[in-house]
Amino acid sequence: MNYEHLHLLLNHFPIIGSFIGLGLFLVSFFGKNEDLRRASYIVFVGIALITIPTFMTGFAAQQMLKGPDVDALIRRHESSALLSLWFVLATGTVALIGLWQSQDTGRPSHGNVTAVLIFSVLSVSLIARTGYTAGEIRHPEVRTGGVVTAANSAVSEGPIGALIGHFEPDPDKFSDAMTFSKWWWTFMMAAHFIGLIMIVGTVGLLDVRIMGFFKQLPIAPLHRLIPWGLAGLGINIATGLMAFAGRPENYVFSSAIWLKMLSLLLLGVNAVAFYLTGIFGQVEKLEAGEDAPFAAKLVAASGLILWFAVITLGRYIQPLTDTLMGTN
Amino acid sequence: MAVPEVFNTIEQSGLSRWLRESPSIFGFYFVLLFHTIGMSLVVGANAVVDLRILGFAPGLPLHPLKRLFGVMWAGLAINVTTGLLLLTAYPTKALTNPDFYVKLTFIGLAVYTMSKMSVQVFGDPGMSEAAMIAKGKVMARLSLVFWIGAVGAGRLLSETARYFFYGHPAGG
Repeated sequence: MNYEHLHLLLNHFPIIGSFIGLGLFLVSFFGKNEDLRRASYIVFVGIALITIPTFMTGFAAQQMLKGPDVDALIRRHESSALLSLWFVLATGTVALIGLWQSQDTGRPSHGNVTAVLIFSVLSVSLIARTGYTAGEIRHPEVRTGGVVTAANSAVSEGPIGALIGHFEPDPDKFSDAMTFSKWWWTFMMAAHFIGLIMIVGTVGLLDVRIMGFFKQLPIAPLHRLIPWGLAGLGINIATGLMAFAGRPENYVFSSAIWLKMLSLLLLGVNAVAFYLTGIFGQVEKLEAGEDAPFAAKLVAASGLILWFAVITLGRYIQPLTDTLMGTN
Repeated sequence: MAVPEVFNTIEQSGLSRWLRESPSIFGFYFVLLFHTIGMSLVVGANAVVDLRILGFAPGLPLHPLKRLFGVMWAGLAINVTTGLLLLTAYPTKALTNPDFYVKLTFIGLAVYTMSKMSVQVFGDPGMSEAAMIAKGKVMARLSLVFWIGAVGAGRLLSETARYFFYGHPAGG
């Protein structure tokens, strides 16, 4: 097992998923179908989540796969991924905001629908290019004439590729930008802790209440604090990915970071179990002093354990740095 | 300014050396993990109370939030304990760093605000929510500022250290 295999396992999900999400969204957009819209939003959020480890395994694989005739192609793919990543995450974020808005009004605001339309079209275009540039690394048979002839030679681009390529950050320059100032690095790390606090304070408190502690608190108003936790999660995904891209050598050889990402994906499953199986509908009505059903307690407890795992594994990235050296 | 010899004595003690050098996963990083968890408890619970006083989640009844102060004190107890252990591991590194005193000052101010809020805002079960909010607003704002300052100063420690150990200045 190495990062290349992991990346190959994951990398089709963001691309195919983005197309599926956009397809569902467009049908709902023109057909005015609220259920389909909701489905497309959920797909966008899920795709954003799975794009995180996809990007990270790719970045890690890149460290392993430097050959004489692929460098320029890998670099182009990495640049492309470094741009499309943020648009896929932004699409997921805007979709999540829309899902939150739908709670009260049954549908997202017009502004939100417009934002999802713009971001999803952009991220599908960008991620299609990321997939295309990857295909040329792994499948030499599809390379168009003279794409690359020698190490580090310039990659020839069509007009659209050249235009998008203009906006794609150079991976080395991006890494340098993250690490050149200790103040910026410290700011990211401090923000990562603030995000952690926001998650624990809100999501952790809700989980603990559902499990049966602090029963004087009614659930519906407590749930109103969840956007703070989601904002904390957003801060931590952004700062975490920037730190990872800034000092990949600190992270890619540590088993802890990959187990942390696995825990994060399992938290996605946990959220699905909470919001999409009717459990949330049951606990939302609970007033002060009322007890949650067993299934809800189970989901809340597993969520809490997974957050604990995320924090623990995060703290053990550094001491476990060498634990994956031999496997690649 | 000379670094006090006592820091060296602490660094050579068995506990200090074990904390720094033990390959066990229950060594230094275990203490650091619980320092992080303690932080998330004390600051997370305090932030929720602050945000509620500042007008977020208005449907949440204020008086029952008094019980969250128990979580805050528990988190603080964890962090005083783990903080002292971390200090035992690296006394020179921490105590020669001006930022360490900035962090302690922020924590002192935040904890003072926390205990003041516990008594003055949550101490009287008969007080109306409107009165509690009026009384707690400034404290809630200050509390958030102090805790963010403490977390920021804490994360800056590793970047501002002047010594790694007694007699070993941090290079550059």
